[in-house]
Amino acid sequence: MSEVRPDEISAILRKQLSGFGSETDIYDVGTVLQIGDGIALVYGLGKVMLSELVEFPNDVIGMVLNLEEDSVGCVLFGDSSLVKEGDTVKRTKRVASIQVGEDMLGRVINPLGQPIDGKGAINSKKYLPIERKALGVIQRQPVKEPLQTGIAAVDSMIPIGRGQRELIIGDRQTGKTAVAIDAIINQKITHTEEAKSLGIKPVFCVYVAIGQKSSTVAQVVAKLQEQGAMDYTTVIVASASEPAPLQFIAPYSGATLGEHFRDNGMHALVVYDDLSKQAAAYRELSLLLRRPPGREAYPGDVFYLHSRLLERASKLSEDLGGGSLTALPIIETQQGDVSAYIPTNVISITDGQIYLESNLFNAGVRPAINVGISVSRVGGNAQIKAMKKVAGTLKLDLAQYRELEAFAKFGSDLDKSTQKTLAKGARLVELLKQNQYTPMPVERMVVGLFIGTNGYMDNIPVPDIKRFEKEVLEYFEVKHKDIYDVIKKEKVISDSTTEKIKTAAEEFLKVFKKSI
Amino acid sequence: MGDSKVAYRYASSLLQTALENNTLEKVYHDLKLLIENFDKSGELKRAVESPVIKPEIKISFLKEIFSKKMDKETLKFIRFVIDKNREDVLYLIAEKFIDLRNEHLGIVELDVKTAFKFNEDQKQTVKSKFEKLLKKTVNLNVVVDNSLIGGFIAKVGDTVYDASLKHQLELLKKEFAQGSRSLN
Repeated sequence: MSEVRPDEISAILRKQLSGFGSETDIYDVGTVLQIGDGIALVYGLGKVMLSELVEFPNDVIGMVLNLEEDSVGCVLFGDSSLVKEGDTVKRTKRVASIQVGEDMLGRVINPLGQPIDGKGAINSKKYLPIERKALGVIQRQPVKEPLQTGIAAVDSMIPIGRGQRELIIGDRQTGKTAVAIDAIINQKITHTEEAKSLGIKPVFCVYVAIGQKSSTVAQVVAKLQEQGAMDYTTVIVASASEPAPLQFIAPYSGATLGEHFRDNGMHALVVYDDLSKQAAAYRELSLLLRRPPGREAYPGDVFYLHSRLLERASKLSEDLGGGSLTALPIIETQQGDVSAYIPTNVISITDGQIYLESNLFNAGVRPAINVGISVSRVGGNAQIKAMKKVAGTLKLDLAQYRELEAFAKFGSDLDKSTQKTLAKGARLVELLKQNQYTPMPVERMVVGLFIGTNGYMDNIPVPDIKRFEKEVLEYFEVKHKDIYDVIKKEKVISDSTTEKIKTAAEEFLKVFKKSI
Repeated sequence: MGDSKVAYRYASSLLQTALENNTLEKVYHDLKLLIENFDKSGELKRAVESPVIKPEIKISFLKEIFSKKMDKETLKFIRFVIDKNREDVLYLIAEKFIDLRNEHLGIVELDVKTAFKFNEDQKQTVKSKFEKLLKKTVNLNVVVDNSLIGGFIAKVGDTVYDASLKHQLELLKKEFAQGSRSLN
């Protein structure tokens, strides 16, 4: 510890005292009638607003969720055993809100904006309410810029645009979080000088962890730090041990943080991991507030719970600065059942879904994306032309492969063309496999997929495909860097580039064949 | 929850009738008396609210107790409430009536807690100050509470005017706690 100097202490104390007035304090109060299960019924608080923060004794904060004829229902964000019947409740005259701004980047906070990473107070002065109305039609424009996730399977076939809402859905242990984290890590490219020169605007990220183990969140934060992604990311944590009300508001806090960037002409990506747990938390507190239960015991407004959150994702019109807020909600299914209540709701709200399957995961296809039923309803417009070109045949090839795959299992003799389709499909599946935390720049993806879809891999044994991909991309990097640069700059594959790639690929193939 | 709605309806109709008959003050005093007696005697309150005791018996003993002190109209109202099987909310109705009457006349209850006993002059000052501030007639109730250390706390409805030393010290404590957090 550093030396303590008494004169300094008294100076600081005097400074703090100087701003201290002694005027009469006027505030509104109520009395706790009933307390339990994190819910307080309060008498009084006549003028309180809906979703206003209220102060209980012992620094417990609550939020008003029910306004009734002669009582007010509050949810508590703290320990409800610290509040007793008959305690005084004070209004704060502040609707639940959170600090926003660049100061929040690199921090781990709780849904009320209080830092929990031990790095001291956050100095941001700007507060925004956590529940904000989504923008209307006039303020928006169609999604048109790509948000590169760095995952080949996603960027080629299920492209995500800035301002889109793309659901990541799958059973437990299928790599849902991995897809989202890779997308966050890949945004590092957008913060470089190179991206600036290419006209790619930086994307700021918010990762909202709802109802997860604290240890899992710690791992994610450590990984983001290690990859240098924390510099542009805020992590909001409402872990499993937190009271249900905090888990319920966490995604809204995340959306508010992202909206700050959006409204200032910047771009943001918010990951909600995961909304099934948020729905469960909301069900818990709705039942405690005695709201009538509906299907699967969820309250009637559980659809609105998610729709009002995801509607806040948007691409602003040029008049408003052209900022965007992209949302990647995550939903965990039970045994692949997408027809449960919450999954169907969120599927219908979002602009597409990335469907992850455990049998693919176990078969070694990672990321375990089922490209057959995964879709992106708006992202196609945002894809760069070069990617559109190479990915056009990709989806078709894979669809044909899947169709014939079932036949091939019968072991019957297959004709030449069927065998060719099967061989190509198997190689493409292999090509789309990708390790975690290794996002790929778009130009490399384009070249890799071009080579894959144009039949250059057809004579390479499947086990060698990954090595082939790695080496061919390195070969291009060393010998034909101009191709990468052209794709990056022009975002299209012109006829001359096509020729260049073809000759380079043939050159490499000759060398590679010797190594098989 | 439903009870308060019921009480409000009965009380407001009683208020209207009382205003029409020009018996507002009488009814007010009668219902105040009723509340006082209910507060004093839990037995009476329980007996009136009990569903086991027959309505006729309730009416007869209430008559016996109150007939000399209460106006006929008020007794008629009580009888009416019992006839309607709403005697369980009678107390609430009386409370609500008093609230409505005060609201109608622009009277507010001002509960003041002081650290030391106020003399008449001080009481008058507080009263006139608040009457000016709220633009209403103030009904002052003063209680002494030594834990305030100094100053006073005035409460009108849900709003608190806190000028106590205790609260000031609490605020100061908070300020310092926050200051230390930002210094670290």
